Amino acid sequence: MATATEQWVLVEMVQALYEAPAYHLILEGILILWIIRLLFSKTYKLQERSDLTVKEKEELIEEWQPEPLVPPVPKDHPALNYNIVSGPPSHKTVVNGKECINFASFNFLGLLDNPRVKAAALASLKKYGVGTCGPRGFYGTFDVHLDLEDRLAKFMKTEEAIIYSYGFATIASAIPAYSKRGDIVFVDRAACFAIQKGLQASRSDIKLFKHNDMADLERLLKEQEIEDQKNPRKARVTRRFIVVEGLYMNTGTICPLPELVKLKYKYKARIFLEESLSFGVLGEHGRGVTEHYGINIDDIDLISANMENALASIGGFCCGRSFVIDHQRLSGQGYCFSASLPPLLAAAAIEALNIMEENPVLKEKCGQIHKALQGISGLKVVGESLSPAFHLQLEESTGSREQDVRLLQEIVDQCMNRSIALTQARYLEKEEKCLPPPSIRVVVTVEQTEEELERAASTIKEVAQAVLL
Amino acid sequence: MRPEPGGCCCRRTVRANGCVANGEVRNGYVRSSAAAAAAAAAGQIHHVTQNGGLYKRPFNEAFEETPMLVAVLTYVGYGVLTLFGYLRDFLRYWRIEKCHHATEREEQKDFVSLYQDFENFYTRNLYMRIRDNWNRPICSVPGARVDIMERQSHDYNWSFKYTGNIIKGVINMGSYNYLGFARNTGSCQEAAAKVLEEYGAGVCSTRQEIGNLDKHEELEELVARFLGVEAAMAYGMGFATNSMNIPALVGKGCLILSDELNHASLVLGARLSGATIRIFKHNNMQSLEKLLKDAIVYGQPRTRRPWKKILILVEGIYSMEGSIVRLPEVIALKKKYKAYLYLDEAHSIGALGPTGRGVVEYFGLDPEDVDVMMGTFTKSFGASGGYIGGKKELIDYLRTHSHSAVYATSLSPPVVEQIITSMKCIMGQDGTSLGGGWAAWWLTPVIPCHNQGKECVQQLAENTRYFRRRLKEMGFIIYGNEDSPVVPLMLYMPAKIGAFGREMLKRNIGVVVVGFPATPIIESRARFCLSAAHTKEILDTALKEIDEVGDLLQLKYSRHRLVPLLDRPFDETTYEETED
Repeated sequence: MATATEQWVLVEMVQALYEAPAYHLILEGILILWIIRLLFSKTYKLQERSDLTVKEKEELIEEWQPEPLVPPVPKDHPALNYNIVSGPPSHKTVVNGKECINFASFNFLGLLDNPRVKAAALASLKKYGVGTCGPRGFYGTFDVHLDLEDRLAKFMKTEEAIIYSYGFATIASAIPAYSKRGDIVFVDRAACFAIQKGLQASRSDIKLFKHNDMADLERLLKEQEIEDQKNPRKARVTRRFIVVEGLYMNTGTICPLPELVKLKYKYKARIFLEESLSFGVLGEHGRGVTEHYGINIDDIDLISANMENALASIGGFCCGRSFVIDHQRLSGQGYCFSASLPPLLAAAAIEALNIMEENPVLKEKCGQIHKALQGISGLKVVGESLSPAFHLQLEESTGSREQDVRLLQEIVDQCMNRSIALTQARYLEKEEKCLPPPSIRVVVTVEQTEEELERAASTIKEVAQAVLL
Repeated sequence: MRPEPGGCCCRRTVRANGCVANGEVRNGYVRSSAAAAAAAAAGQIHHVTQNGGLYKRPFNEAFEETPMLVAVLTYVGYGVLTLFGYLRDFLRYWRIEKCHHATEREEQKDFVSLYQDFENFYTRNLYMRIRDNWNRPICSVPGARVDIMERQSHDYNWSFKYTGNIIKGVINMGSYNYLGFARNTGSCQEAAAKVLEEYGAGVCSTRQEIGNLDKHEELEELVARFLGVEAAMAYGMGFATNSMNIPALVGKGCLILSDELNHASLVLGARLSGATIRIFKHNNMQSLEKLLKDAIVYGQPRTRRPWKKILILVEGIYSMEGSIVRLPEVIALKKKYKAYLYLDEAHSIGALGPTGRGVVEYFGLDPEDVDVMMGTFTKSFGASGGYIGGKKELIDYLRTHSHSAVYATSLSPPVVEQIITSMKCIMGQDGTSLGGGWAAWWLTPVIPCHNQGKECVQQLAENTRYFRRRLKEMGFIIYGNEDSPVVPLMLYMPAKIGAFGREMLKRNIGVVVVGFPATPIIESRARFCLSAAHTKEILDTALKEIDEVGDLLQLKYSRHRLVPLLDRPFDETTYEETED
């Protein structure tokens, strides 16, 4: 029945087609095509596209004037003309042609011209030559490197140590090896530049706390805890780190490690400790700030220090548990992608470590000059009395940094004329996260005799009075 | 002759093409003909048969396509490894298999885990199997032959024990000792020893504070002379030279155009600078030109301001590919588009050019055309550290603004002395010294070299050509430029990485093998670094053994047999050098 009806309809349609006038069919045809077109064409109008013509592009390229690669440096830029040290930069040194007593190099233990260190380095030089001609992975690992790592680990009483060929690159590579995008790093405002660069490379979230202010740190940690409770899923994968220095390069102050360790366990954040200044100086054996406070070194997740200060060699190291340190052997950029430390420098560091274990005393001297330098009119001493490197800042700033720097430089220059080699602490003013005020950095070493310390203190006092008053 | 086919791995598809018609360079200026520029601007890639005489010498660079079957098998290999990795991780999780790796402290178990689980999957399950091929400790000079400390592992490479034996006289094909200056005798060593005794090993201060020794000044003056630039500055570490100086040159609002295969240090420096980074295909000038053009025409994204400046980052020799940068074209482009050029000569300084002045000399170009000449002392000079050379204004700026100069300890004096002596040796003492001209150098005492510097450079070039030619004849797939002393031999399959390294060591040859992540996943390779210290005999021994191992491991993948090199005059066709 149904089929019959359908057939009938079909027949009727065909019939209608025959009967319809031609113009009608054409019209219908056009309408159908129109519908199809409408169906397939875009219903919206494309944005006014005004592609540049080739000529316009050419003109734009012609027109563009880049800035110069570097801006010109004024001839009197305070950092342009370096002091020239002729001969070894050790205890007595010739700066700009004048012999001075060195109060500027970080040669805390006087190991730079130690004959034993030199002999060890020389023996190594005679065996291995100078360079390593390769990164650690590709035949750049020498037995000396393994020895040094072993010695450092034993000395620091940690499971493992890893050495880098450049002090700056040590902490700057170590931080991004662990802390990644999305992780949170709590860092002291006064942290040194290497730490700042490491943090920048890690692309983690950075929270600055006030220098050595544990209450401020705890406030930030608490804030984070509240944040974490809101989003526990994210919190489960967000690592937290606290990055501090043992003795701060920029301030000469010591970090309150016991409080930090307490906070670490309370808020489950790992501690990275940079000990470039405190290694070889603090603690009974020079193991640094952990030994100074009597803290179990395993409570610190990673300790990094350079071998360029107390050890008077080149390079740096990280130490800690194998679980942590070993990771850097594949992820520490400055370790994997750089040529390894020249063996003679590693040998020098080993010998320096040997000598260090014989425990020279430095602390009393630091205290002595500290005391002697108190009460200079116009200058204030910034830094711990046990720190071998501390700062002299202007008591009252003139208001312009440039002027302050000039005043301090005047003091440095005059001291230099009177055979006391000093230097201002140099910073890249535009790059520093929290720029410290300008200062003269005074470095105390074991080689300086009491007389020399006295003389330095009185010279600085006299010069400062002459310049500042 | 046929154009080299685009590799199945897409990053090389257009490599074999010629350069874009960007006009010709005469007297150092680009004169683009309107038609060519128009065509290029319209987005057409032009394969022109003459490139305006940019190259003064043949530029033969080949990257043979990965055979399809090999590629498939390689992926299968990684697939199997990954499956087994998961299986073993599962077994370790349930303590069925013993866990060798170090674990978190008990006290810190409830901390957020320090590593993401997957982060170390590759290390645990793939790298660990063949870990014995890396970090092999040596106990001698890294010269032509080297002594390696034998080590054994009883727990599948999780830990190593030193047997106390020393494998003596292993042929060293791994160290970057291009000119053979890694030596423990001779003038360089003697000079370094003298300085070491006088100065000590360290410096204990930064350049800007009180670590600027007379030796450093002497070195920098010499480096500038060596490079033919106005001034230079030296830094304590090659890696840091890049990562700590690029941020001083560019910053926010600047654009960095970086080759995709640039070294990690350049990448890090670029990232630390805060500038926008765009990547162009490896050594691909069309890609670079397109980026340059778009950058200038469209300006910065979002703000639409024009870029403050554009810095192109390239390397002289790429250490994993063995390719040489197409410097003449890069310079033409940089001039046309007013960009700045940062050239990293870590591997090419000393190793290329008739007198070892690097890739600039190799192409017969003017060092003035390169804005920032960077390089390292680690390789050809057998020392450590890096330098930057350029215009006086640039160096003055770096002296005041380089992160290294302000915050990092300066170069160790004995290392400085090694560089000074080796560099003088390469210069053959003939660089007109300190304003004295001919008479001055005649009067300076000639330090006896172990070999005249120029001869070293020539020896290296000869060794390179010989070694590369022989390997190609044997049927290996060799990447890179025929003049590059870095010779990558393709292994492809993960299992062959370990096998090749071990078999070669068994035959007393130390080679470097590399796989993912240093290379793309299927392009694992062995890398040979040639040295002027390699004698023909050493090379022949090495070649014989490589041949043998190549047969054993079936590494002779090449389907192009090489025809003898003809002394054909250079034209575009020499880009496409393989023959069926």
